Amino acid sequence: MQPDTFLELDGIACGYGKTRVLDDIDLAVGRGEFVALLGSSGCGKTTLLRVLAGLVSPSAGKVMLRGEDVTDMPPDRRGVSMVFQSYALWPHMTVAQNIGYGLRLRGVTKAERAARVDAIQSMLGLDGLGERKPSALSGGQRQRVALGRALAVDPEILLLDEPLSNLDVRIRLSVRHELRALQRRLGITAVHVTHDREEAMVMADRVVILNAGRIVQQGSPEEVYNRPASAFVAAFMGAENVVQLAGAPVGGRFAIAAGPANGEGSVPLAGRRLGAGAVEARFRPEAARIDEAGEPADDGGFAFHGEVVAVSYPGGHWRHTIRVGETEILADAGRAFPPGARVAVHVAPDALFLFDRPDIRPPVAQVSRQNSPIPAGKVPA
Amino acid sequence: MSRRFLGLALVAPALVVIVLFFIVPLVLSAVGAFRVEGGGFGLDNFVKSVDLYAPDIVFTVVIVALSTVLTGLAAIAIGGYLTLGENRTAVAILRWLYRWPLFIPFIVVGQILRTFLAKNGIMNNVAVGLGLIAPLDAQSFLDWRGIVIAFVWKQTPFVALLVAGAMASVNRETIEAARNLGASRLRILFEILVPQVMMTVTVGLILSFVTMLSVLSVPLMINAQSPTMLTADIAFRVNAYGDYGVANALGLISLAFAACVGWIYLRQSLKERA
Repeated sequence: MQPDTFLELDGIACGYGKTRVLDDIDLAVGRGEFVALLGSSGCGKTTLLRVLAGLVSPSAGKVMLRGEDVTDMPPDRRGVSMVFQSYALWPHMTVAQNIGYGLRLRGVTKAERAARVDAIQSMLGLDGLGERKPSALSGGQRQRVALGRALAVDPEILLLDEPLSNLDVRIRLSVRHELRALQRRLGITAVHVTHDREEAMVMADRVVILNAGRIVQQGSPEEVYNRPASAFVAAFMGAENVVQLAGAPVGGRFAIAAGPANGEGSVPLAGRRLGAGAVEARFRPEAARIDEAGEPADDGGFAFHGEVVAVSYPGGHWRHTIRVGETEILADAGRAFPPGARVAVHVAPDALFLFDRPDIRPPVAQVSRQNSPIPAGKVPA
Repeated sequence: MSRRFLGLALVAPALVVIVLFFIVPLVLSAVGAFRVEGGGFGLDNFVKSVDLYAPDIVFTVVIVALSTVLTGLAAIAIGGYLTLGENRTAVAILRWLYRWPLFIPFIVVGQILRTFLAKNGIMNNVAVGLGLIAPLDAQSFLDWRGIVIAFVWKQTPFVALLVAGAMASVNRETIEAARNLGASRLRILFEILVPQVMMTVTVGLILSFVTMLSVLSVPLMINAQSPTMLTADIAFRVNAYGDYGVANALGLISLAFAACVGWIYLRQSLKERA
């Protein structure tokens, strides 16, 4: 929990009809913090944002704003501005009217409104476009008008629902930084929904990862990237290579037994709680180092043995598809190894993520790790 | 050459139907409106029409215009509630109920409202029974008010059907964005929703206007007095006097009113496309 908690969700559950969209969501956001809600489509992140805005009412739980329960407060009284994925600009109003509408609703005088709209337009680089209709704007300009409309009312909280997903890749990259800089400058608390991992990492102070309506992990970008709490988070954060291993915790390390495609080895547990038996190892292609088979590992890491199946050049490095035992993994290297070559794939201990295999783990281990995406009921006794 | 002929042959049946049953009668009655006694052409029929029926012409325009305005308001209210209403039961009931009058012919509407609005009709009986009015104060609504009520009753579902459909296809996020900024539902209806479906509202009301302009049964059933609507006058001229000249002139005057609203529609659709 943040020291200066500003926005708090307490046990939020929500569903449409019989479908459960959100379940037991606890989240605290500090004043001025930029939080990214990250998850694949359908994980409930947009619904969570709409609960914050008051556009969807939760079936259970509380939404607290400045220490006040706002769960049943209508959306128009919350002081929370939202930027919609479709931008939702009003097509019959000009840019200036769109930006100024919130002020008009608040009874701000015409002169004051014009001054504020002008200021917002200059801040967002929309000078001279005030009289245009949204249909005469480019995607990037529309996005900025939507942002300007939300900012014009001086909100304490800004909710962003994938505001960059409809932009060209090149514009998106620059808007990321503009948006982040603006949020810092204005000191607004922001909750940003995205399915783009890099976007969340680059923009947010804290990344909250959702899966199937639950928060599976939250932490600083480097925390969720380097210390994923579950196989799901590891996979979502790019550690797509999966190899099944077996081993047992010994002292402060996890000893890995030799298998058909790997030698013996051990990695530090570093606070991880792993049970004895089968584990799932995950790592990123860029965390791997490829050597000719037989060369000794020098960094005390762990090595898989396999055969190169294919090689391609996506830019900057060579990407190899390597058959390791029954599975295929991806590994990057500075030089190309030809298909058919026998190689050793080294992975540094801190880049090798190990997780208990939920399907064959003894049930006692289940309680040891929280935030598991797999419900406890599925584990056979 | 033969391909061209084939194309013409394909459209010929439709063309013949339109020419034979639509264009020819229209031209004939337009010509008939200008034909005067003795076989020449002139404006006699129009002069006679205005002399005899000036109050009815005004009556018709006022009744139809008023009905159009009220129909528009009622349709926007229904469409707005169907789109913005938060009480799901009420929305479901309204959705089920509002389309019924669509399936009831004008003549039946006239009949229903006759028994409802008459001096000793259901409306007054209920009002007297509830003690709202004294029996002596009961008055018949079977006059211009009856026609307006009948038109609005019959045309509202049609316009509401179009308007509610258009409102349902408006990007819901534009509504939520307004709520998010603090707009009440009434402001959302008139500042966000209606402007986005204005074209549909206009089309629905213009079609209604033209329909109401051509209804004969309602004025005959409800308003058997003077002034009455042009349709009743046309029927009277033809049936009682065989006076096709004045009937045609009155028809052309009706057509002119319809053309006026058609022009409004065209102008707006051009503006929207620009």
